[in-house]
Amino acid sequence: MEHSKQTQFGSSDKKDAGTSSVVNGHCDGMVKRPAGGPSQPPAAESGSQRPVMESWREDRTRSVEDNEISLPSLAAAYTTILRGLGDDPQRQGLLKTPWRAATAMQFFTKGYQEKLIDVLNDAIFDEDHDEMVIVKDIDMFSMCEHHLVPIFGRVHIGYLPNKRVLGLSKLARIVEIYSRRLQVQERLTKQIAVAITEALQPTGVGVVIEATHMCMVMRGVQKMNSKTITSTMLGVFREDPKTRDEFLTLIRS
Amino acid sequence: MEYQHDVEINGEDKYLNICKHNGLCKKEKDSKDDTDSNKLSHIEKAYTTILSELGEDVDREGLLRTPLRAAKAMQFFTKGYKETIQDILNDAIFDENHDEMVIVKDIDLFSLCEHHLVPFFGKAHIAYLPNKKVVGLSKLARIVEIYSRRLQVQERLTKQIASAISEALEPAGVAVVIEAAHMCMVMRGVQKINASTVTSVMLGTFQDNPTTRKEFLDLTIRK
Repeated sequence: MEHSKQTQFGSSDKKDAGTSSVVNGHCDGMVKRPAGGPSQPPAAESGSQRPVMESWREDRTRSVEDNEISLPSLAAAYTTILRGLGDDPQRQGLLKTPWRAATAMQFFTKGYQEKLIDVLNDAIFDEDHDEMVIVKDIDMFSMCEHHLVPIFGRVHIGYLPNKRVLGLSKLARIVEIYSRRLQVQERLTKQIAVAITEALQPTGVGVVIEATHMCMVMRGVQKMNSKTITSTMLGVFREDPKTRDEFLTLIRS
Repeated sequence: MEYQHDVEINGEDKYLNICKHNGLCKKEKDSKDDTDSNKLSHIEKAYTTILSELGEDVDREGLLRTPLRAAKAMQFFTKGYKETIQDILNDAIFDENHDEMVIVKDIDLFSLCEHHLVPFFGKAHIAYLPNKKVVGLSKLARIVEIYSRRLQVQERLTKQIASAISEALEPAGVAVVIEAAHMCMVMRGVQKINASTVTSVMLGTFQDNPTTRKEFLDLTIRK
């Protein structure tokens, strides 16, 4: 996928609407789990599907320096928007709004600056534990990529370690990397699950997200109480209904 | 009058206010339409710039029509600029010999912070003491909509709603309380998820008489 700031993959990947399309700084739709088998370590995936399993090593699409360089054009764009909406960018309350809005938007998309391998900070430990580990009610804030309006909710993550456990806060940090981007809830759920799989090679991972989409609440169909729930189950969470059940029961309690 | 001053500060289109007849005349409507679609395309281009400056790929499938959708969404979030009290009240003011408190509470409210262009949302509770004139109940919610669908500051929003009701009905008193969560505080900056901001405006009897005020507060925000 070619970004304005970075080229990671060949342009032949870009137009392919199938499984090799790369989206949102991360390959999309490439995780293929064999229906009956256990989860494979990344190296065992076939060579033609290389990109997704190495995505956690991929470069950031943005850097802190890029942020400073982009700020004036972002602010100018916001000034145009204010004028287009019919308000007066020179009135006292709006004088510095373009800069504040630009910085805010950069914060809401700071996931593009972060790389999984940095965030994990080597907090992967060898531990002889193979029971389910769950971190639930992780507050999540993201931006709808279709309307540029917030999405917020909670993420529940469970995994079955395979001799390696992860520092617990790192699960929340993984959520932060992928949620602080322009997102679609389905993709966000999958990216979190795939990232944990790549980092730990556990026996199974389950991720459930329940969120409210302001694009549905504040505009459009305007349903105040609606919630969207998505889940990704990988490995033994997908194959074994009892494991999945245990996970879903524990996150409800 | 203070209400007019606030209206001008909020950038309300002054020439719409000058039109006292119902609705815009055809010539103004035509010129407004042209300007509107021009404005939409400027906003759309601005969003395309924003997406590429944020480091995204504007040609990927999910973002192809995002500038247009975001521009239309933003116009919807600021549609209050084009609406006037006269239009929405729709003559729904009735003579009624009722002088007890009328409360409409838990009116869902969505607005945009004028400092960060990020939503804030919550509930508005409105009460008034009629002085021979009552208003259709949904019109109170429509008044909230007009002023909340703008770039706002919660304090000003509360005052504008109270002043509008005051001007339209000339009641013995008006009270407005808004409790809202500001995404600019929750999603960024200090990141306090459970913080909520409460503002209130009390006019007339609600301001002068503590018992009236207490009755209103007991019936609305004290759970």
